[in-house]
Amino acid sequence: MIKIENLSVAFEETLAVNQLNLEIFDGEILGIVGESGSGKSVTALSVMGLLSSEATIKGGSIRMGEDWLIKDGKAQDKERLRKAQGNRMSMVFQEPMTSLNPTQKVGGQVDEVLLLHTKMEAQERYDKVLEAFKSVGLKNVEKVYDSYPHQLSGGMRQRVMIAMAIILKPELLIADEPTTALDVRVQNQIIQVLRNINKEQKTSMLFITHDLNLARRICNRIAVMKDGKLVEIGPTEEVFGNPKEPYTRKLIEAVPSRVKEKEDAPECTEEVSVNILEVRDLNIYYHEGSNSLFGQKKKRCVVENATFTLEKGETLGLVGESGCGKTSLCKAILGMNKLVEGEVKHFSTRPQMVFQDPYSSLNPAKTIGWLLQEPLRAAGKLDPACKMTDADMKAAAYDMLQKIGMPEKYFNRWPSQLSGGQRQRISIGQALITRPGLVIADEPVSALDVTIQAQIMELMQKLQEELQLSYLFISHDINVIYKMSDRIMVMKDGKIVEIGDKEVLFTNPKEEYTRLLFAES
Amino acid sequence: MKYFGKKFITLIMTLFIVSVAAFIAFQIIPGDVVTSILGTESTPEREAQLRAELGLDQPPVQRYFSWMGGVLQGDLGVSYRYSKNMNEMMPVAELIGDKLPVTLWLAAISLVLIIVLSIPLGVLWARSKSKLLDVLMGIGTQTAMAVPSFFLGILVTYFFGIFLRWFTPGGYVSYHTDFWRFLGYLLFPAISIAIPKIAMTARFLRNSMMTEMDADYVRTAYSKGCSKRRVMYRHVLRNAMMPVVTFLGMIIAEIIAGSIVVEQVFGLPGVGRLLISSVSTRDFPVVQILILYITFVVIFVYFLVDILYRVIDPRISSK
Repeated sequence: MIKIENLSVAFEETLAVNQLNLEIFDGEILGIVGESGSGKSVTALSVMGLLSSEATIKGGSIRMGEDWLIKDGKAQDKERLRKAQGNRMSMVFQEPMTSLNPTQKVGGQVDEVLLLHTKMEAQERYDKVLEAFKSVGLKNVEKVYDSYPHQLSGGMRQRVMIAMAIILKPELLIADEPTTALDVRVQNQIIQVLRNINKEQKTSMLFITHDLNLARRICNRIAVMKDGKLVEIGPTEEVFGNPKEPYTRKLIEAVPSRVKEKEDAPECTEEVSVNILEVRDLNIYYHEGSNSLFGQKKKRCVVENATFTLEKGETLGLVGESGCGKTSLCKAILGMNKLVEGEVKHFSTRPQMVFQDPYSSLNPAKTIGWLLQEPLRAAGKLDPACKMTDADMKAAAYDMLQKIGMPEKYFNRWPSQLSGGQRQRISIGQALITRPGLVIADEPVSALDVTIQAQIMELMQKLQEELQLSYLFISHDINVIYKMSDRIMVMKDGKIVEIGDKEVLFTNPKEEYTRLLFAES
Repeated sequence: MKYFGKKFITLIMTLFIVSVAAFIAFQIIPGDVVTSILGTESTPEREAQLRAELGLDQPPVQRYFSWMGGVLQGDLGVSYRYSKNMNEMMPVAELIGDKLPVTLWLAAISLVLIIVLSIPLGVLWARSKSKLLDVLMGIGTQTAMAVPSFFLGILVTYFFGIFLRWFTPGGYVSYHTDFWRFLGYLLFPAISIAIPKIAMTARFLRNSMMTEMDADYVRTAYSKGCSKRRVMYRHVLRNAMMPVVTFLGMIIAEIIAGSIVVEQVFGLPGVGRLLISSVSTRDFPVVQILILYITFVVIFVYFLVDILYRVIDPRISSK
């Protein structure tokens, strides 16, 4: 149905897609997997004719049925391309939060597709939009029609995006990481919607993802891309079960999987357990802004009656949907939240934190060496007893570089010269340099590629053993949690739903919510 | 409704603070109105007599409240400097009543010119692919922004008044006699005020649109099959207007200040000249009322901008 031949796309002089050959068959779901920068999104945008002006097509062709979208490196004229966009082929993007126009009602935005490609009357269009909304599982469709994007949840917005994409029953639907920005449970629902569309409307799909588990669940065939080139392509089970290329094998091995973990059963070395953190009956509140000028500010409880302990050398995994109070809990433990009731008891030095986004959490104007020493300087200012000499701090920074697996030459480099994985190593180094007993890691690997993810998790486990650290590890990725944690704590709406040993929780969850969360992931 | 109540309270509080500040300012700045009125004929007795007449012998706090009380009842006070005839003082209301509309109309015409011209210019600039137009617009707006209004006023007078003879420099028709000719005489001063602001706003809108063009929803619009024209007008413009509306609100105070200067250049009988002479002669009642009036107008326009903002961005009103 879609045939890509020898496609090359370049940004300035670097080739983002290099001599790519790929075919999408009628009615199939083809997955493209690969790390960021592998050219998967660029491929999709080339098919859709949505490449940005910085990209140039260096050569090759894309054919849709009998029509050329790109012929011998030349794009079809815009007028004809627009007739196909949204009509014969359409696209669902990664960010449902920003992919809809914030100042227009979503109904009108879907309606625009009909307005552009059909000659339907207003009433007919309205009915058709409502019908499309129903088909993607939206409820209260009239109300949704008249809503602005900010009034809908992420999952609902993505459903609207899908409704917009399928309303004219296109032959090809391209989904570029459609669930990456969503919570686990919503993810599953969206995947189900896409599957139904594929089954009922026989729509071919190009499914782009970096999540190999997800690709395995939904795709008929898998294409593995690396550096703009196709590494391997074949039926899903064949690629996963019997990968031919070493790169594919490496990619699959890097995926945290529960099945693999069980094989090398963890040896239990029980020591006398020492608590490093005790949280008892913790309530956390936020001020809710009051509308009237002199009105009293209301307190809203975001975390209710949290009670748990964390032992020395243990990793406690924390899962839950966004808005369930995970971050508030962390802030309270760090003492960054003042409106709390209850007890938080530390049995170690000040806990440290590792953040999600390694790109924005390092000051770009300072060198790596300076950044690593900064926590020491801060500690010295807080407490003169911990003051270290410059030479000592420098030595500590070099020592830490080595611990986090970075060559010494990086001491004088800038954050902008590092990759995402390297930056996250530096963040970890910053957290560990004051020798805390407890490290809170808030989605530390979520922004990283699979192979880098694996390296960072390995590093964190190695350092845990060396330094006898305890981790409070937050992630929305159940597989990552499983790999890292000893025990798992599940939160929902500010309450701790369930807490227990990971094996017990996975094999025999007591709560329905836990079961739902772990299902299918 | 709650929103309007809140805005109303803000308005009252601001006016109160401004009135106190204006009052205090004239207590502090050097110069005494009594000696300045009497001039060389000043004797201690006459000074004391005049002081009592004007109520200046009372303590400042009491004077403030008696002034404010009068204003609230519609009595704006009397001018220290101007008198109707030998026996009667000149009420401030009568003094500024004729002049204020001139200044306000001048500001209003300037604002309309700015909005009507800068938006199409900004959109055109953002849409054009031509390098030449881009460079020309860049230089043009830069130059226009750099030239002060009073100098532009001189250029406009020379070009349109003396060279093209489209209007008589220094001429003026009162709005009582012929409203349309009155507006005609205000047009050229308004142009001088508007030109730098048009350049700024067009530039601002263009940059705002360029930023919006990279937004995710723009890509979505293209994926639906929208043409560039449709994307620009149906999707980008409204989102790009949000910062521009804020910007327009901010320059309104500048426009009023600008009109005071430009009135001098074109010889218009607005409040500009009155304000300047009243400040130098310490004619506090006039200055205080003018300041309050201008403050009120600026706050009122901000309020309109705020409402406009809510119309453009649905996210604000629901918060």
